[in-house]
Amino acid sequence: MRNRTRDLRTARRGQQFGKFRVTQLNLVPLVDTFVSIVFFTLTTTTVGELAPIVPGVTLPETTVGTPALSQLTLGVGATVTLGNRPIMATLDAAAEPSNDPRFPLKVPTLYRAMKSLADSLRHAKGLGAQDDLKVALAIQGDKTMRYDLLSRFMATARLAGFTHLALQVQRVGVGP
Amino acid sequence: MGMRSHEEGHLNLVPLVDILTSIVFFSLLTYAGTALAALTSFDLVLPPVVVTSPDEVKQLKKEDDVLNLLLAVRVANDHLEVEHSAEGGFHTRIDSLSTRSLDSLQALMTEIRARYPSNRDVVVIPADNVAYDDIVRVLERLKKSRFSGISLGTKARATPVTTP
Repeated sequence: MRNRTRDLRTARRGQQFGKFRVTQLNLVPLVDTFVSIVFFTLTTTTVGELAPIVPGVTLPETTVGTPALSQLTLGVGATVTLGNRPIMATLDAAAEPSNDPRFPLKVPTLYRAMKSLADSLRHAKGLGAQDDLKVALAIQGDKTMRYDLLSRFMATARLAGFTHLALQVQRVGVGP
Repeated sequence: MGMRSHEEGHLNLVPLVDILTSIVFFSLLTYAGTALAALTSFDLVLPPVVVTSPDEVKQLKKEDDVLNLLLAVRVANDHLEVEHSAEGGFHTRIDSLSTRSLDSLQALMTEIRARYPSNRDVVVIPADNVAYDDIVRVLERLKKSRFSGISLGTKARATPVTTP
């Protein structure tokens, strides 16, 4: 009789507390996802903005300077590239004379590509034809390139409207 | 009962290992070399121009636009020349482009920078046949001498040129 009463009481309590079932929340996938998010956030904010090297270009080396950020890049290896888009062979660029006597250093084919890009940037920024483009052009040139060729590329870029030029080189060692 | 109270909870590390494996896989796949983070840049300014007409003078916006010292470094394959316009003109020649010569250049430019502290500009005028690598070595020494307004000049041409 006593056992029966106890069993009934236990059953009644079971019914009462049955609605307060203890559930388990598995936080492991959440932690895994957060690990991924933190990892990719850190890598894309630090590495994503750094400038990549144009393929096929052996850059000069230096020990000074801060890390260069990604910019519109003119690459000069075996091929001249503008923003990773091949424009012409470097040998062809070197052999191509200017078609404008006022600007003897101009490389006409490269100028057309640069002017087209500069015009589209001006259009996108709502700038007038005479306004400063305010877009820096980084030049990544092979270290064996002669200065007369580099000066032609620089003159062509300035003629097309890119007045802010930077030479991107490879940093080695630790300098001031 | 006593055994049960001492039971340890276990953390399922399998998904974490899966995620880390994915990260390592895609990191290796997209690896572009350590050179990605090792680029640096020399920002160039436009070379100075001689202003003669009154209209051009009016376009100068502030006093800083006017150079008080015209300083130039000429770079050839076998020597360097440093020139400036102060004190009736200064000119010196440093033989070769060796490390020792570049050390001499850096010492001289540091001295000029200290003597004329308001001037941060220097024009580098390489000869046509100088390699880009040598130009960068000179630019590096100018940076170390705390010149920030570095421009690259070239000799004036009258006719269209091609490059050998």
